[in-house]
Amino acid sequence: MIEARRISKFFSVINEDRSAEGFTVLNSVSLSIESGSFVSLLGPTGCGKSTFLEILAGLQAPSDGEVWIDGNLVLEPLPSTRKEMEEYKRKYRFLSPIANSLFRDNPKHDIAMIFQDYAVFPWMTVRQNVHFTLKLRGVAKADRPDLAARYLRMVGLVGSENKYPSQLSGGMRQRLALARALSVEPKIILMDEPFAAVDALTRERLQEDLLHLWRETKKTIVLVTHDVDEAVYLSDEVVVFSPLPGSIRNKVSVDIPRPRRRSSVEIREIKERLLAMYRFDTVHEADYII
Amino acid sequence: MPADTLTQNDRLQQHQARWWQVVVRELSVFGRNSFGSIVSVEFLTVVVPVLILWEALPRLGVVPQTLVPTPSTVALTFWDMLHNIRLSEHLIGSALRFAIGFIVAVATAFPIGVLMGWNLFIRKHCLPVFQILAPIPPPAWVPITIIIFGVGMPMQVFLIFLGVFYPVLFNTYQGIKETDPRYLASARVFGASEFTLITRIYIWHALGSVIMGVKIGIALGLVMLVIAEMYGGRTGIGYLLLEAKEYFQIDRMVVCMLMLGFIGWFLIEVMKYIELKLAVWRIGR
Repeated sequence: MIEARRISKFFSVINEDRSAEGFTVLNSVSLSIESGSFVSLLGPTGCGKSTFLEILAGLQAPSDGEVWIDGNLVLEPLPSTRKEMEEYKRKYRFLSPIANSLFRDNPKHDIAMIFQDYAVFPWMTVRQNVHFTLKLRGVAKADRPDLAARYLRMVGLVGSENKYPSQLSGGMRQRLALARALSVEPKIILMDEPFAAVDALTRERLQEDLLHLWRETKKTIVLVTHDVDEAVYLSDEVVVFSPLPGSIRNKVSVDIPRPRRRSSVEIREIKERLLAMYRFDTVHEADYII
Repeated sequence: MPADTLTQNDRLQQHQARWWQVVVRELSVFGRNSFGSIVSVEFLTVVVPVLILWEALPRLGVVPQTLVPTPSTVALTFWDMLHNIRLSEHLIGSALRFAIGFIVAVATAFPIGVLMGWNLFIRKHCLPVFQILAPIPPPAWVPITIIIFGVGMPMQVFLIFLGVFYPVLFNTYQGIKETDPRYLASARVFGASEFTLITRIYIWHALGSVIMGVKIGIALGLVMLVIAEMYGGRTGIGYLLLEAKEYFQIDRMVVCMLMLGFIGWFLIEVMKYIELKLAVWRIGR
């Protein structure tokens, strides 16, 4: 169970005339995600949903609010007063708050994350990439080959184990990222627009694979996307983000029994509703900002 | 069953290359990559006419023969130096100095660079010191080094160290600092400790710029080798150069210069080979 409580994130940006200005990326976002569910965060690009996902993963500290995963706090929020800020800085002067320990490989939470541009390590072969993540999770050396082989087979990368990522196509790299995330058998997988960079045909195949894997393993999946079709087709619940400052506009649960058909009437109806919501937003923008 | 495993082992051994086969293969790879560029037809079409001109112009009296020794004279002088003034001893002396200075410099600059690039706390404490010291041209250190260490091996090694240290340090630091944060984030989510990040992510991502730094370090180290040997000591290529100047032996100077050029070229080729071996993943690109 992931619980985000009133998450806010501010940045300071420099204007053209060199003056600094506060910039709100996320405005008090609260969201709780049940274990085993498939949730999509839908929104136009640049609405803070990727930032939100990184905050969930503990890769960024929220300016305000807390994230709890199964009763554990992910990162302490940034301090608000100057005195607290000094204390915070003193505490983390050597290691940044997002770092794990200095020498021991130990994840803070049972999460895996897939990035938009894959972030598989180009200096390791496909097999080494998977072995490396298994090592990080403390899987015994003897068990690694079996696990790696199983998950590489699951995503269809048999025969490419000794290739480097630069020798793979974009879709295959994405599969490798998927295999890497699945092989550590996390309870939660966070995905940041995982299919944005692959072609439409490959995307559909990867989506089917993902659904298949999700049915088999029953993990919690949080998918960030700007693709309405993808969100409706894949997920149990679509969380709609409004444009900046990012906040939750609406939640739409998709109660269509699986397996779904992409072209079914129900899916089209929900899609229309979501798109209508966006159309309304763009027309009535002035009302909405208040 | 035991017989089965035995035959399998035998078969494995047959397929596995012996160590000397590996050495021969790697040497041939190195030779093809380094000397290959010199023996190539394209390069020979340039170098052969240049050599002929170099030989012909002094002989025809276009340039004074006393100032420009011909290639044949240079080759003869090289043979002469090899036998009469024990060139090999000078070469070994220079190589030893350079090796000690170079290894000590890389062994200190690389870890410091990695630590500075990795951690802001360490960077803030150390970087200003190096930034102030680095712009001092290494030859400017010669007088004070001679006073402190005296003339001899320690002084020469220290000067070479100075030449190699800063390029390696700053290139390593830059490379490590510019590591793509996506890779760090993805490793951190999986639970990588900071030490693992350094050994498995940072260093590999910075490999190219580290090797670039070492190459620059080699070039500067050779500069400092010549300077150090000119100022102190009775052996080495730098000393031979200075001695040739005293006796106005231009052919010997040319031999020394060509040898320095060859050594520099060879060391750079060695670095290229190391890069090739370490950065296998880049070949496919």
